[in-house]
Amino acid sequence: MKSFAKKLNTPWVIVLCNFVIAALVHAILIAEFAVSLGLMVAVVIVMLALDRYGIIHALFEAYTAQKKTAIISGIFLVIAIPISLTNNNYIGHIATMAVIYSIACLGLNFQMGSTDMTNFAPAAFMGIGAYSVAICTTMFNTSPWVGMLLGMVVAGAFGFIIGLPTLKTKGYYLSLVTMAVQIAFTQLIYNLPAIGGANGISGVPKYALFGLDLYKKYTIAGIKFAPQIPYLLLCIAFLILATFVAMRVYHSRTGLSLNAIAQDEIAANCLGVHVPRQKLFAFVIGGVFCGLAGSLFVGLDSYAGPGSYNFSKSLMLICMVILGGMDNSIGIIVGAFLLTIISEKLRDFADFQQLVYGLILVIMLIVRPNGIIPKRVRNYCGVSCRRPMCAAKAADVVEESSTGA
Amino acid sequence: MSMEEMNLLNVSGLYTSYGRIPMLMNVSVELNEGCACCVLGANGAGKSTLVKAILGMVKADQGSIIFKGQDITSWSTYKRIAAGIQVASAATGTFTKMSVETNLKLGAYNINDPKLLAERLEEIYTSFPVLKARLNQKAGTLSGGERTMLAIARAVINKPSLLIMDEPSLGLAPIVVDEVFRIVRRLNKNEKITIMLVEQNAKKALSVSNAGYIIQKGQIIFSGDTETLKNSEFLENPVM
Repeated sequence: MKSFAKKLNTPWVIVLCNFVIAALVHAILIAEFAVSLGLMVAVVIVMLALDRYGIIHALFEAYTAQKKTAIISGIFLVIAIPISLTNNNYIGHIATMAVIYSIACLGLNFQMGSTDMTNFAPAAFMGIGAYSVAICTTMFNTSPWVGMLLGMVVAGAFGFIIGLPTLKTKGYYLSLVTMAVQIAFTQLIYNLPAIGGANGISGVPKYALFGLDLYKKYTIAGIKFAPQIPYLLLCIAFLILATFVAMRVYHSRTGLSLNAIAQDEIAANCLGVHVPRQKLFAFVIGGVFCGLAGSLFVGLDSYAGPGSYNFSKSLMLICMVILGGMDNSIGIIVGAFLLTIISEKLRDFADFQQLVYGLILVIMLIVRPNGIIPKRVRNYCGVSCRRPMCAAKAADVVEESSTGA
Repeated sequence: MSMEEMNLLNVSGLYTSYGRIPMLMNVSVELNEGCACCVLGANGAGKSTLVKAILGMVKADQGSIIFKGQDITSWSTYKRIAAGIQVASAATGTFTKMSVETNLKLGAYNINDPKLLAERLEEIYTSFPVLKARLNQKAGTLSGGERTMLAIARAVINKPSLLIMDEPSLGLAPIVVDEVFRIVRRLNKNEKITIMLVEQNAKKALSVSNAGYIIQKGQIIFSGDTETLKNSEFLENPVM
């Protein structure tokens, strides 16, 4: 098994693997409903089977060892996927939504996955981002970018304000508080005629970069592109940034202390972790991520309404995090993509949408309670060691670092 | 050296309560630098409450806690830990779902310098060889004795001025208890760490400490050096 894991550790395997993933994502996006669903089920089953033999873990190790190749080829393919969608409006729309939800889920994960504080109000944070863009552009005639920045700041501040009282509560009670916040937010939006009330705000201007419209049909080299494609590229850029930040936080001392709080708050306190500050940090950074997602969401529809940011949207985001795997950035993105595509392809059977969510969640919790790609046990190898190594080698590395120090 | 400098921890006239039920009543404890002091008492006597009060996890209604000459009575826990108090106890257990190494790194939460951290980890590996062999194992898979070692190592990695040990012998086999107390003696004698040992196992605790307190129903009923304590009638009390 170990020799096999070593064999995986070559640049070509990584490039091939990236290519296979990209091709699968493309196929799942493009294919008809039944084929796409079959593909998704097949992917999940194959992944579970691979995980049983430890191949997923070996692949993760290989990816960390071959970081550069993985990132460069990954970025190429990530740009290639939107371009390969060419003139397909609807698919472009779905893909953009999946990317935006991924950003929101990464934000939710700081609270739900890392710190074990289930926040039932991620959609409210998204709503704040969306409404701040809508209000800034339609009422004050500013650029949507200003609205985005403002939305992130306000969502972060909102996270801080919600975080303060919830420091006193734990577990179910904390969830109840956030649930109340979510419902209050939706009701507030419904009943404020100044910001559109139940009708919401429509006609929000689209994002533009250096005078270049990011939501427009372009024809490059004779190929027509759907209007969503440039916007999808922008969202992907933000997703890469968000994933980078999330991973950095996970691997930092802050991430470690969040995990410690999740497991045993008293013990974490006894080790000198400033528990209230770290919990507030989780709420604020999660709020900023969700605010960013919301402000991107409004750029897709040009519309911000209370219906888009209600309790069921929050539940959907939570489902995505549970499905993908808590506290694992890659898993969360997988979960967000799967669930977005499933629910969009189920549009024809809208009556059954909620049923399918419930079914997926129940099956997941029975078959694999930790998600498709669960979080991995933290693994260090000495302190001074910069490049991550596989677990088998860690003991040697400790000796190396000791002689070095 | 004057008396004040020698005095590391000074708890005086401490009152705490859980809701309306009073717990500690007029508890005064003095710890000099370098000493090993045991706090003995039956279940429910208030030993753990005293530990919690010193750590700041239970509010003091009255009285003061002075550590290294500073009044820390109103400080929050993380500040006290940063000031040099550490606790190794069965109650504030290990993080069972994390690897042993992660546990140690969490213990060293206040050490910012990676070089210093590497040094300290190395010291821990030499003094606790049991842990070195199990670095990548989840702490939940360790045996009870190893877990106690981990809890102690996690506290010692910071080189604390005061190490509070809350029932380190809880639920361990006699042979492992001996090993734990050997470590306690070594930490006190060789590494000059002041130790406050909270125990039910009076005989063992007295064998490593040089002063002792007995708590009963939230009050200190005896304080003095070990020799007097060994011969006093308090230890003959069947409750002990």
